[in-house]
Parts: sequence; C-alpha cells; structure tokens
Amino acid sequence: MFLWFAIFSTRSAGGDQNINGMGMNSYLAYALWAAFFARISANWAYEFRMSDEIESGSINSLLTKPMSFFEYYLFQLLGHKAVTTFFSLMIPLALSMALPWPMNLSRIPLAIILVFYYLVLVHLIAMCVTTTGFFINRTGSITVAKNLILWLLTGELVPLDIVPSPWKEYLLVLPFSSGVYYPVAYITGRIGHREMLTGFLSVTAGIIVVGSFMVFYWRQGLRKYVGTGA
Amino acid sequence: MYAIETENISRVYKVYRKPEGLINSVRGFWKRDHYDKIALKPTSLKLEAGQIIGLVGSNGAGKTTLIKVLSGLITPSSGTAQVLGYTPWERDNAYLRQMSLLLGQKNQLWWDISPVDSFALLARIYDLDLFAARKRVMELAQKLQCEKVLETQLRRLSLGERMKMEIIGALLHEPKVLFLDEPTIGLDIIAQENIRDFLLSYVASRGPTILLTSHYMDDIAQLSKHLLLISQGEIVYQGNVQEFTGKAEQVKTLVVHYRTELAQDYSTPQGAVLKSGQREHRLQVKSQDLAETLTFITQLAEVHDLKIEETDFEDVVKKFLEKESRILSPGHRNASRIQT
Repeated sequence: MFLWFAIFSTRSAGGDQNINGMGMNSYLAYALWAAFFARISANWAYEFRMSDEIESGSINSLLTKPMSFFEYYLFQLLGHKAVTTFFSLMIPLALSMALPWPMNLSRIPLAIILVFYYLVLVHLIAMCVTTTGFFINRTGSITVAKNLILWLLTGELVPLDIVPSPWKEYLLVLPFSSGVYYPVAYITGRIGHREMLTGFLSVTAGIIVVGSFMVFYWRQGLRKYVGTGA
Repeated sequence: MYAIETENISRVYKVYRKPEGLINSVRGFWKRDHYDKIALKPTSLKLEAGQIIGLVGSNGAGKTTLIKVLSGLITPSSGTAQVLGYTPWERDNAYLRQMSLLLGQKNQLWWDISPVDSFALLARIYDLDLFAARKRVMELAQKLQCEKVLETQLRRLSLGERMKMEIIGALLHEPKVLFLDEPTIGLDIIAQENIRDFLLSYVASRGPTILLTSHYMDDIAQLSKHLLLISQGEIVYQGNVQEFTGKAEQVKTLVVHYRTELAQDYSTPQGAVLKSGQREHRLQVKSQDLAETLTFITQLAEVHDLKIEETDFEDVVKKFLEKESRILSPGHRNASRIQT
C-alpha cells in the first residue's frame, strides 16, 4: 500500500493521476484484497504436512485404510480455509467500508467461490510436490520454489493487467491468476463477469491437466515407495 | 482355503551409497552410486486361514518387508500374491476393509485427539454403523482392561495403553487378516501378557488370520501354531511350532555344583571342559549325550547340586537362525534346510 502511495504521489506531480486507467484508491483496494486472497489461496502449511507424512512414513497408516490421501487432505484444507475466510474477511471488509475505496460487496461470494475452486488446483499441485517425496528424501525446497513462482503468477505482487503485453495475456490465461488477480479485480471493479468465467475455465483446464499428471505420478510414486520408518 | 498365497514374491531396494562430506553430497546431484539390497528373496507361501502365524527373524531379515508387501504398503519387485483373493498392492478398498496393519513402532491413531474420537473417525472411514462401532470399542476395551483411558488424548497415554488403543483401532472393523508387526515392543511383562491373552481369546472367538512378528519369542511360542523363520530375506523354515522345536537340535544345559573345587581340568567324552579351581560348571549337552555326560561328571567329585535346564524356544530359534545365517552366506548356497 505504501508503495502505491509513493508511486501515485510521484505521478501526481506530473499531472496524470491514473495508471492503466485506474486511480490510487483502486490500487490501494487491490493491495488490501490481494493480501487477503493470497493467504486464502495458499496451502503451503498443508503441503509441508503432506510431505512430512511421506518423509516420516506416517502415511503408512493412511495407505492401508480404505480412504483417499488426496481427499483426506483436500477436505482438511477446505475446512480450514472456510473458517479462516470467515474470520479474516472481516478485516478487508471493514477497511473497504470505512475508506473510499472501490468495492462491490455483492461480488464477494463469487470471488470466494472461485478461490475455493482454485484451491482444488493448488491442492493437486501440492500432491505432485508431495509425491516427489517418494523419489527423494526432502521436498521442502520444491515447495518454497513453487510458492515463489505462484507469488509472481497469481497477481499478489502487482495487478496482472499492468504487466506489459504479451506477458499480461499469458498470465491472465493461466489458472494461477484465479488465486488472486481475478477475484480481487472482480471485487474492486477492474473486470466483469465475462473475465471471471475465464478464470473458472482456466482453473478447470488446470485441474484436468495437473490432475491427470498427479494420478500418473502418484501411481509411479507408490510403486517406488519403500514404507519408510516401519 | 488359503488366506495368504504368494508365488516368488521378492523385493529389492535400490540404496544410495553416500560417502562422507559436503563435496560428495554435491557430487550426488549428477553422479550417484547405488547398490541393490535384496530385502526379500523369491518367496512362495501358502498360509491357511484362521490361525496365528509367527514370523521370526533377526533385524533386517525381511520380516517387515514381507508384511509391507502382503498388506499392500509396498509393491514387490517380482512375483504374485493373493491375500483373501486380492492382490494387496492394488489396494482395492474391498481388500483394505478386510485387513488391518498394526506397526508397533508407529502410531496408526491420531496423536492429538482422544482414542474414542479416533475410533469414531475410523468407523466412518470403514463405513461402520456408529452405534455398533461404539459397542465394539467398549467390548474390546473391557477385554483389554483400558476403558478408563478411552477419552484421554492419545499423546498423554503410556506406551502400553497406547498399544491397547492401537489394537482396538486395528480390530474395530473386524478384519479377516491382521498383520501385527512387533505389537508388544517396549511393553512391560504384564502388558505383554495382557495383549497375548487378548489375542489368543480373540482368535479363538473370531477366527481371523494373524501374521505376527515379534522379537519376544514368548509371543511366538505362546500365540502361534504356524511358524515362518526368515533369514537374509529367505524363508528358511515353515511349519508347525511344535514340530520345529522337535526337529531342531535339542540341547540341554547341565549345571553341576561340586562340594569342593576340581583339582584339575577334565574333558567330557563330547569335548566340553570342566576347569579346575571352580565349583559350579555349566555344560551344553545334546539330549542323546545326556546319560553319558551325567555318568562322567558325577564321578569327578562329590556332587552338591545338579540341575538339567531345558533349552527354551528362544534359544532353539536363535541357534537355528545362526546356523542358517552361516549356511546362507556366500559359498554355502546349496546347503540343506529343514522342510515340512
């Protein structure tokens, strides 16, 4: 937020008070909501727990039960995120209502639905990272590297619509923009319903692609698994 | 009908050999030295349903690998296996609902919640009727005398109490096949006895097939009818426990206590030495040589006390495995085995 303050205070001296057609309040609102959605759409804590199950061998008790490791952690993640969303939503909501920043209250539910849908994709990616634990001892560094990439691709850092072409088009078509950019831009009025549909479609494509790979990779991993620690 | 059938199942682990030091760690990124560790050599088994099968072997002999393969936890490198008619490593839910794996050194229940909550969760995982599951938990807890700790967080329970909870969890869905890997490890004698009694009465009343590994030979001797001895990844004996102790070399320990110290060293007809200057002597004697040895040692000096100790099951197994270990070492591959 302070960065946007600094940028706009410099620009106002030159006359034009908009960047890419949007004023300072729009960027401040984006920064606030981006911080909120970035935390909702991240699952690194669960990814570390899942990796630890394989590294320590505690996954043994799950693999020998009639249950799915994927679903077991997905629903823990969604349950945790539902509670987190409920409580942490109060902060950006209160600030947006108190300050003259652009916000469309009625758009919040659809934005949250998109982020929860995106969480399925994030969880599938986490499953792929976790599965790597069947082949190598530690996967923590992969998680950190992946988080850094997602940080750049989701739009948490800057609104993706100010990225120069053709990178902007590439980023907007990737499913990762549905983690932060699409929901925030939708709430703050930067995009409309049509773009949100793009977000849902790209996440669906991502789920199909990553999901297919994950199923194959998981099977390969289980063939390699040595039942660590038992 | 056989509950467990395997045909030449084997498991080879590829093990990374990492020399000491940072430079070798970095080098490991592009150049790795691996070797194959044969955890389980091609193994064929036919185990009948409704009995406790003792699986015995030294550390690293392949016991846990065999259990992991049969429970579906790991995939074998070769061979086929059928447990209750299913291929274990395909992890068909229908199979997983009928089996249970209890690893004594690992918690199967959830650490941070109470056992009753874990059991409720397990009841849902196994699609059990919740009321019936609660009733069964109480029934098992009464038999194991641990009703009082059902509502205490698992992490706050003693090792013995935790193991009882793990056993309840493993039996909640009434599995037809149960793999127990060291269920009494680390427990005191009373807790071990308690769990043994429970397992005996459970098998008598419900009739599951149990494959049991334990380092405590008392577990195997008291619980198992069928015995599998494994050494260096190879089953070296399978058959009845009583037949095994009968066929294996019978050795007794002869303890003789003289009134006075022996004046000189004596050697028995079998070559055992009784040293001068001591009153008590312990001799390992084969059953067939017992009479001759007794006659010999009672003539050496005035006997104050004489005891003949039976060699227990643990000693018999130990001797057998030691012998097998020598036979299975390189250069002795074609040595004969005890077969039933």
